[in-house]
Amino acid sequence: MKTRNLILTAIITALALVAFTIEAAIPPLTPIYGIKLGIANVFTLFTLYALGIKEAAAVLFLRILLGSIFTGQIVSFIYSLAGGILSFVLMVLLKKFFTLKQVWVLSVLSAVMHNIGQLLAAIFMTSSVQLVYYLPVLVISGIIAGAFTGLCAQLVLLRLKKWSENKL
Amino acid sequence: MKTRTWIIILSSVVIVCAILWMSILNSLSPSKIVGIYQDGNLVEKIDLNSVTYQREITLTGEFGKNTIYISNEHIEMKSAECPDKLCVKHGELKSGGTPIVCLPNRIVIQFEDDSKEADAKTGAVR
Ligand SMILES: [Zn+2]
Repeated sequence: MKTRNLILTAIITALALVAFTIEAAIPPLTPIYGIKLGIANVFTLFTLYALGIKEAAAVLFLRILLGSIFTGQIVSFIYSLAGGILSFVLMVLLKKFFTLKQVWVLSVLSAVMHNIGQLLAAIFMTSSVQLVYYLPVLVISGIIAGAFTGLCAQLVLLRLKKWSENKL
Repeated sequence: MKTRTWIIILSSVVIVCAILWMSILNSLSPSKIVGIYQDGNLVEKIDLNSVTYQREITLTGEFGKNTIYISNEHIEMKSAECPDKLCVKHGELKSGGTPIVCLPNRIVIQFEDDSKEADAKTGAVR
């Protein structure tokens, strides 16, 4: 990793942590686990496009680890990790099929995958298959949250591209 | 794939999931038997129809105590010492729908499909 990328990765991780911590302080909208905006996803997506896979993985997993420590949500660590790994793998594998104007679609798919991963971890932890009843609402919330965070990342990436083109 | 195609696919998924979710929320369990599980192990099975007096069950998990309230009509998580309290906010379980979950203390309260004989007084299924 180049020094420039290392520093950028560190800064983006710090920003993702701030966003995550603020979001964690807001009371949940619904009494259902896993329904949240996941604003930190903006930073992972942005890094994946702007810097690369290694850097994005660092931003994601450092944020999950430090975020759980900072917010004291030790319980959610295992669920965040399960969701994080699955959604990140999907994001990396499917990235080439989407243009810069379709970043939000990739974000939607990875957010849905994230929620599926969390649900699988919850089913595993409680041994209750009936938790699958929560799948429809988690898919819907993943689509909405993923579209929003994806659009945020997409707008920044498009602006950045325009800016660097103008500069050259 | 075109962005428009994706919008159509995703909208369809949202509609299908919304219909599924509504039907799950309004579903009626074939029996009124609920199972209380902790760490995947059955703690108690209760037939809500044959509960004649209200009672409480207290379970202790890693993050403190959870108190489950049982009456003839419904079952609910009355109080909990878990950090998120989402299990308490779930509300009453009456006829079906989604199970009550407490992830920190790994407790699940759900309707069971089987209809075994239950104790006449406590509603406990033997
Ligand atoms: Zn709880």
